Amino acid sequence: MKNKAEKGTVSKVLHYIGKYKYLLPVSIFLAFISTVLTLYVPVIIGDAIDLIGGKGAVDMKGVVSCLFYAAILIGICSVCQWLMSVINNKIAYSVTGDIRNEAFSKLQRLPLSSIDTTPHGDIVNRVINDTDRFCEGLLLGFTQVFTGVMTIVGTMCFMLILNWQIAITVLVLTPLSVFIAKFIGGRTFNMFKKRAEDEAEATSFINEMLTNQKLVSAFGKESDSIAKFKDIGDRLNKSSLDAIFFSSLTNPTTRFVNNLVYAAVALVGALLIISGNGSAMLTIGEFSVMLSYTNQYTKPFNEISGVFAEFQNALASAARVFELIEKEEMTPDREDATVLVSARGDVEITNAEFSYTKDKPLIKGLNLQVRQGERIAIVGPTGCGKTTIINLLMRFYDIDSGKIAVDGIDISNMTRKSLRCAYGMVLQDTWLTDGSIRDNISFGKPDATDEEIVDAAKAAHAHSFIKRLPRGYDTVPGADSEGLSQGQKQLISIARVMLTSPSMLILDEATSSIDTRTEMKIQEAFSKMMVGRTSFIVAHRLSTIREADLILVMRDGRIVETGRHDELLENGGFYAELYNSQFAI
Amino acid sequence: MKRLLKYLKPYVRETVLGPLGKLCEATLELIVPLVVASIIDRGIGGGDTTHASLMVLLLVALGCAGLFFSVFAQYYSAKAAVGFSTGIRHALYTHIQSLSYSDLDSLGTSTVITRMTTDSSRVQAGLNFSLRLLLRSPFVVFGAMIMAYAIDSSAGRAFAITIPLLSIVVFGVLFITMPLYKKVQMGVDKILGRTRGNLSGVRVIRAFGKEDAEVNSFVSDNLTLTKKQNRAGHISALMNPLTYIIINLGIIMLIHTGALRVNSGELSQGEVIALYNYMSQILVELIKLANLIISISRALASASRISDVLDIEPTQSYGEYSEGLNSEYAVELRGASLRYPSSPEYALEGISVRVKHGETVGIIGGTGSGKSSLVNLIPRFYDVTDGELLIDGRSIDEYSKKALRDKIGVVPQRAVLLAGTVRENLSFGGECTDEEMTYALRVAQAEDFIIEKGGLDARVEAGGKNFSGGQRQRLTIARAIASKPEILILDDSASALDYATDARLRGAIREFSKNMTVFIVSQRTSSVRHADKIIVLDDGCCVGIGTHDELLESCEIYREIYDSQFRREGEYEK
Repeated sequence: MKNKAEKGTVSKVLHYIGKYKYLLPVSIFLAFISTVLTLYVPVIIGDAIDLIGGKGAVDMKGVVSCLFYAAILIGICSVCQWLMSVINNKIAYSVTGDIRNEAFSKLQRLPLSSIDTTPHGDIVNRVINDTDRFCEGLLLGFTQVFTGVMTIVGTMCFMLILNWQIAITVLVLTPLSVFIAKFIGGRTFNMFKKRAEDEAEATSFINEMLTNQKLVSAFGKESDSIAKFKDIGDRLNKSSLDAIFFSSLTNPTTRFVNNLVYAAVALVGALLIISGNGSAMLTIGEFSVMLSYTNQYTKPFNEISGVFAEFQNALASAARVFELIEKEEMTPDREDATVLVSARGDVEITNAEFSYTKDKPLIKGLNLQVRQGERIAIVGPTGCGKTTIINLLMRFYDIDSGKIAVDGIDISNMTRKSLRCAYGMVLQDTWLTDGSIRDNISFGKPDATDEEIVDAAKAAHAHSFIKRLPRGYDTVPGADSEGLSQGQKQLISIARVMLTSPSMLILDEATSSIDTRTEMKIQEAFSKMMVGRTSFIVAHRLSTIREADLILVMRDGRIVETGRHDELLENGGFYAELYNSQFAI
Repeated sequence: MKRLLKYLKPYVRETVLGPLGKLCEATLELIVPLVVASIIDRGIGGGDTTHASLMVLLLVALGCAGLFFSVFAQYYSAKAAVGFSTGIRHALYTHIQSLSYSDLDSLGTSTVITRMTTDSSRVQAGLNFSLRLLLRSPFVVFGAMIMAYAIDSSAGRAFAITIPLLSIVVFGVLFITMPLYKKVQMGVDKILGRTRGNLSGVRVIRAFGKEDAEVNSFVSDNLTLTKKQNRAGHISALMNPLTYIIINLGIIMLIHTGALRVNSGELSQGEVIALYNYMSQILVELIKLANLIISISRALASASRISDVLDIEPTQSYGEYSEGLNSEYAVELRGASLRYPSSPEYALEGISVRVKHGETVGIIGGTGSGKSSLVNLIPRFYDVTDGELLIDGRSIDEYSKKALRDKIGVVPQRAVLLAGTVRENLSFGGECTDEEMTYALRVAQAEDFIIEKGGLDARVEAGGKNFSGGQRQRLTIARAIASKPEILILDDSASALDYATDARLRGAIREFSKNMTVFIVSQRTSSVRHADKIIVLDDGCCVGIGTHDELLESCEIYREIYDSQFRREGEYEK
């Protein structure tokens, strides 16, 4: 099952590499050349050594020509090596770049339900860190696995050509080294698992306690906290030591096996030459080549097994990215969808039903008729689901059944973009882009002139504080360490809406955390903006509620009452209870 | 930096034995080429099978000894590194517990967490590698050169040329690419920020129909990143081919001189092969050293960051008294001012107020007016910058920390619960019986939903995520009440409650203890209007103290706040 999933991922990866397929054979070809040359150069050096017989028995001319030949091959080999790395970089970085772009543009097509229910950290991880890890794995795969496998096969061939007895000695003994590495790897796996668990425990403890350090201090629990940490820390100490020590045994033990193989080759080689006694079984030069092959032959084995784990991680990362890329998208706009231009602002909701999860129906049989210019206040205790209405009006979420119409047109037959642009939205927790204040105000109308921007800011009562900032409209909130207050940010987002002059508004009044003066400015700006525009206001202040043409009273995600202020008070229902509680005791 | 060394002290033995083992292993490795030379010259050259076999046995013996020494070294290095980082982590954690609120503010939570986790693991890895390789690699490189000189001084010259050239290439590439990779990291951070912003602003972006614009700027940032990656990659790709060329040219030079020297009888064929083997050993070690340097420079940076945290002196010291002076006043502020260390402005200026035992005090004002700052002074979370603060007639800094914590219960603005059970959370302030807890829950209007969740043993997830905002607030109130403090501070801690619950809560708290002095911070006039005394703050200054009715008469700002919440004043009064 798992293998199947891995294969699926691999074929998707290959699909992305496909775009650079003309580079791939080049890379493989270069890897082949450089590996063969890397292995062949020692043979020539061996030849040269053979020409160094002893005192007075040196063929100097032969040595020089051998060395000259070697120098040329070395030059070619290193150029191949470099080109190969450059090409591999290019493939790996471009493929990751492509996947990342794909993942990011996917985010724009995900339904909000999917974005709201997935932790943002998780999505960011997939788009950034997983692609990064995948890129590293891909590079390693190209450079190490390709050349590694070629080196092993190549060395074997060269050894067999030079001397089959030694080649067989090596062939028989090397699995021992691989076996030992595997054995230790298997043993340490559990230790690493234990360490990972202890580490996770320590990290989550540290996270929780230090995030709430003030609380710990406020309740005088410091020494308890230290004692608990020491306990966790000591356990982590033990499991870390086990894991680190045992895993670090891999190198010495495989090196030890390699040394044994080396000794065996030395023995077989020496005996062969001595017993051959002059006959051309094996020359001393070849003997030294064999020894150096033996030294480097097992290296790729260890590397590959390391790389293989790394490669599996990379595949797991890739799978996570693909999972994101393949997530279900929101239903695309219909081809014949209407583009809403300069809407009047009549909104009609008929028999709408909606729920976030199938088993918890939220909105049932909602009917609402709003004529152009009317004000609808949405009230209820915090957490009662007032934002649900915003979600439906803006089509962030689609209703399950029923109909929502703007100017008589069903919004599901409209392009989302044109519907959303018909609304101006100011939310309580204001989001600004990382650009300047100017960029932020002109967010919905990038071609706005400076004059228009300043006018919008003035209308939103934001101009006076913006011009007092050291860099005025060019201030980058956040980056310029110009911490804007929540209220100021909201004023900017009002200016942002003012500039686009939409025909309908969705406003979210602040509950707290804004000082009275700024708040009054926001109120003024809101009422100025609402003139002649259909407005939906998530309301907290009585003045807004009293002036509304219609109040939707929400509780636990449901609309429990609708009507005007006076009517609702008379009814003596939930609204009346809410209202009167202000004056209790 | 030096102060970190003391955590290595318990591991002096390990710190010495680790590298020592490595040096022994390296020495053995340097002997191998000589043994091989002897096999060739005496064994093969002299046709001496016994000698060849003996030498092979020697190789096996060297391998065994090498294994022993390196296992020995790995063990002691790992022990020293793990012990060292555990010591540091523990010291950090203990140190953080001693820090005051203002110290924590200037440090920042995420910084502290990174020091405890990422930084200390880097130090651990850095120390481990250093103990294993820092001495070994140069030892092998120079050892090989010395051996070469010992065999033949003119052949040794090839080493004297090759080693510096190799070092230049290896470290040159390293130092050129390090800043380039830093730039790559910045590029990654940039697209990370974009992705995060895109998600948090998803509603605004879609409301303005800016999805395509977002994609375009992401694609262009991503392209810049790819270019940076390629540039750094191309340069570091030079490392392998360049070192390959240098080492092989070194070998060519060696064989050439070797050939001449053998011809004149000053060198044997086996010795040439030994020299050749030494040359091959150098490269591997230099590359190991280069990787080590990256790891060490990271570890050093982390170590100095950790050491910075340890260097922070806690800014508060406590007295030893646990009892007050039976004063008429529970809390008395005399011209108290507060300026946070990070800010040039005063958060509070010249506040003077006297609060009797059992009084309820409301504190109201806009954001940033200093409400929370004022109540943070009472449990001594922050010290007054100027002026005086007396608790029950005694200056606050004469009390022990424990006494203050026992006397004063705080419900912070942000309702935080810790992972565990409801019971564990409620007894956080001190041991109490089930009856006391149940009673506290009732007062805090939390009894109903706790019974629904399964009573005192109900699970609380980290941060209290399985409770709603309002429920969390009520639980934190219950937690503060359960420890039966003399002074209770509610710092805007009912903001997520609806008006009705808020009202019931205030009534219940008043019932709960007649002698408890209660401070209620709120944005809502409805929450404070029935207090014995309301303090109105504006921009850090006290602009009015009195009852609701008095303040409506005399305090313009109070009236303004009241009006903004009840626009047509008095109209709906009953």
